[in-house]
Amino acid sequence: MTDFTRRDAFKISAGGLAAVSGMVAMPSILRAATYPSRPINVIVPFATGGYNDRLSRAFMPYLEQELGQPLVIVNKPGAGTQLGNSYALNQPADGYSILCTSAAPYIPLTVLLQNAPYKVEDFSMINLPSRDYTLAATSSGGPVKTFAEVIEKLKKDPSSLSIGVQPASADYANMVLAFQAAGVDASKLRIVTYDGGGPARNATAGAQVDVGFVGGEGFLPLKSKVRPLAIFAAEQVDWYPDAPLIGATLKTDFVEGSQRGWAVTTKLKNEQPEIFKILVAAVEKASKNPKAIETLKLQELATTWYGPDASNKAYLDNAAKMAKYVDLLK
Amino acid sequence: MIDVSAFNDALGIMFTSVGSWGWIVPGLIVGLVFSAIPGISITMAMAIVLPMSLYMDFFSAIVFLTSVYTGAGFGGSVPAILMNIPGSPSSFATTFDGYAMSQKGEHNEALGYALFASTLCGIAGYVLLLLVIEPLADIVLRIGPVEMFAVAIWGMMLLGSLGSTYISRGLLAAALGILLGTVGMNTAGFTRGTLGLPVLLDGIAPIPAMIGLLAASQLLSLASRDYIIEAEGSREVSLRKILKGCWGTLKYPGVLLRGSIIGIIIGAVPGVGSSIGNLIAYAETKRTAKDSATFGKGNPKGVIAAESAVASGEGGSMATMLALGIPGGGATAILIAAFMMHNIVPGPSFIETQKPMVYAIILNNIVQAVVLLAVGIGFIYVASNIMKVRTRYVLPAILVIATLGTFAVTGEAAGPITLFVFALLGYALNRYQYPVSAVVVGILLGRMLETEFLRSYQLSGGNPLYILERPGAMAIFAVMFASLAMTAWGKRKQNRAEAAEALAMRQIQEETRAAHTTPSKG
Repeated sequence: MTDFTRRDAFKISAGGLAAVSGMVAMPSILRAATYPSRPINVIVPFATGGYNDRLSRAFMPYLEQELGQPLVIVNKPGAGTQLGNSYALNQPADGYSILCTSAAPYIPLTVLLQNAPYKVEDFSMINLPSRDYTLAATSSGGPVKTFAEVIEKLKKDPSSLSIGVQPASADYANMVLAFQAAGVDASKLRIVTYDGGGPARNATAGAQVDVGFVGGEGFLPLKSKVRPLAIFAAEQVDWYPDAPLIGATLKTDFVEGSQRGWAVTTKLKNEQPEIFKILVAAVEKASKNPKAIETLKLQELATTWYGPDASNKAYLDNAAKMAKYVDLLK
Repeated sequence: MIDVSAFNDALGIMFTSVGSWGWIVPGLIVGLVFSAIPGISITMAMAIVLPMSLYMDFFSAIVFLTSVYTGAGFGGSVPAILMNIPGSPSSFATTFDGYAMSQKGEHNEALGYALFASTLCGIAGYVLLLLVIEPLADIVLRIGPVEMFAVAIWGMMLLGSLGSTYISRGLLAAALGILLGTVGMNTAGFTRGTLGLPVLLDGIAPIPAMIGLLAASQLLSLASRDYIIEAEGSREVSLRKILKGCWGTLKYPGVLLRGSIIGIIIGAVPGVGSSIGNLIAYAETKRTAKDSATFGKGNPKGVIAAESAVASGEGGSMATMLALGIPGGGATAILIAAFMMHNIVPGPSFIETQKPMVYAIILNNIVQAVVLLAVGIGFIYVASNIMKVRTRYVLPAILVIATLGTFAVTGEAAGPITLFVFALLGYALNRYQYPVSAVVVGILLGRMLETEFLRSYQLSGGNPLYILERPGAMAIFAVMFASLAMTAWGKRKQNRAEAAEALAMRQIQEETRAAHTTPSKG
């Protein structure tokens, strides 16, 4: 027989309780020491097969290698990323849910135009490697050759050319800004709206519309079917070097296009700085892995390392500009 | 036209990668099973297996995914025929005559017709694709909003063929469907009818809504019976009858051809997908048929027309994807992702530099269609046994599976909730004799109608004469009106013939009566 009494049992269970409550209240440093101890969910607020989905899947093995835990892709598409963003914010801030998303302009747009129940600042960037820019393009066989020609024609008669664009997007803001700067009467334009970049690109390549304003990256597979007129970027874009810069024809302010990559909730960054650091280090190392760079390049996916500070700044700048021009979008 | 040396190289690829052929059968089975489950569409079936294909080499992955696609194209027709519940939107038109046939105890034949129409037209679609992939792709890009609007109107004309007791209730139901189809943010960025729910910004999810509307009314009407088919003798599963149906398909080459052409063209148009092709093919076949009165009551031509358009639409959709890198629908969007994940970007440059690979993919799809014939017969043989199970076991199982299916895709309660709400709506509509199918057509076409009409308006600047600049749209409208006029004329002729016949009958009757009366006099 052992001298195991009820009192001992109480002691043991009390000790257990203390240990459990200790775990719960464990300071973040301790919790970070064991992080990550189980698989991590990557929330992609888009459907399977989109850019972010492909980016997350292609990057996954290299990030897994750094984190030492498997990643699980969770697609939460809908409402212009609002559903996925809300879902991410509802997860515990423990580092087991990270986002792979087109942070800008989707997060600011859901806040500005859909009254999403969160703030732009609720998300913090780890790295946004993919930077897209609005491209004004026409069908490769079309009569228009340059952006200056577009402006000239529209100034004479604003309804002489039809324009394809996605409403409430960075592309739309850029179009309005460019025409304002050029002095084109925007109220008489023949604007055809498309509910996505894909349909707008098809309409441009198929000459359904005379000029399309759409994110340039998606045009790459259709490159031979379109003629680039102007790209809304400050300096030459390495993935589309033959696209003339908007600055060459027109002095106008513009909004940068999609900024895609890795993000977490700001709650995690503030409450679990150690875990945030681990995630940043892992993404950085994976982004600089030569094998990752090579593989992703073949799939036309970006791996450039900008880091959390630069990425966050780019994201917030974009959000501020979107807020500034929100009236153009409505 | 076909490039012979590339074609030879393609045969080389086919035979050197025989190992990848092993993925055809598993792919077909996955596609058949998933799409036969109400609530899971072809796109979802493919999204589920996409991550798996990452671990295969390129050709195997594409063979596997396209096999899922091929299998899924047919799988949806199984529940459509057996239970009047389409497995996916693209088999909606199959329910009209398929279920009527199975109620007559001809489910074996109906499935046979569907399977053979599906394989034959699948092959036809891909053979045509082999010949005209590049020109087809260029034509597809030229199809603009006005043409698409014409197509959507054509689809709406199906309503005339649905037939309901009250025309007014039919129109009202269709209007309700169109309104429901336009819920959410439209193409110009305006938000309507979302009740403040972010889930509804993208519109009502068509699949749970469709299943809710159709399944609720259907399951409730089935609940009062012991078995799906009342007559015990008709419940048998007979391979002989399935094969008889398969063979019977060949008797309708005209229906197959029309269905294929409609399917390929509509399937190739980006953003339309196969859920509309089957409606148009059905409506056209019914309108031009001499025995149009028997459609909806179990005419095999109805099943063949719908299935042929679904199967051939797959080829059209693949053409757009391979030649332009543009997804024709959700399923090809997944295929593009699979290509990209293997470092291959489909599009004009892919088709120029890798023609043998393109041909090999197309050839492999033809092989898949042939294999589908064997796998499909096995599948329908097994699936038909549901007829022998008591409804008290079948119905709860289907409800649970359908609910899970709508939940599984996004892991959100939105799917099941939509299903439930629309089930109540479906019950109410049925109770007051509003045609549920008209609502479904409205939901499937409402968004397209609105979007394309709005874009046509934007493009033309409100000038209706713009249509004169679009010969394609004029041609579509012309064919549509010609078809209508011919039907009307044919109907008139038929009515006259019937009237004349009735007159003649009456005369004969009178004469016989006269003949009868004369002798009695004498």
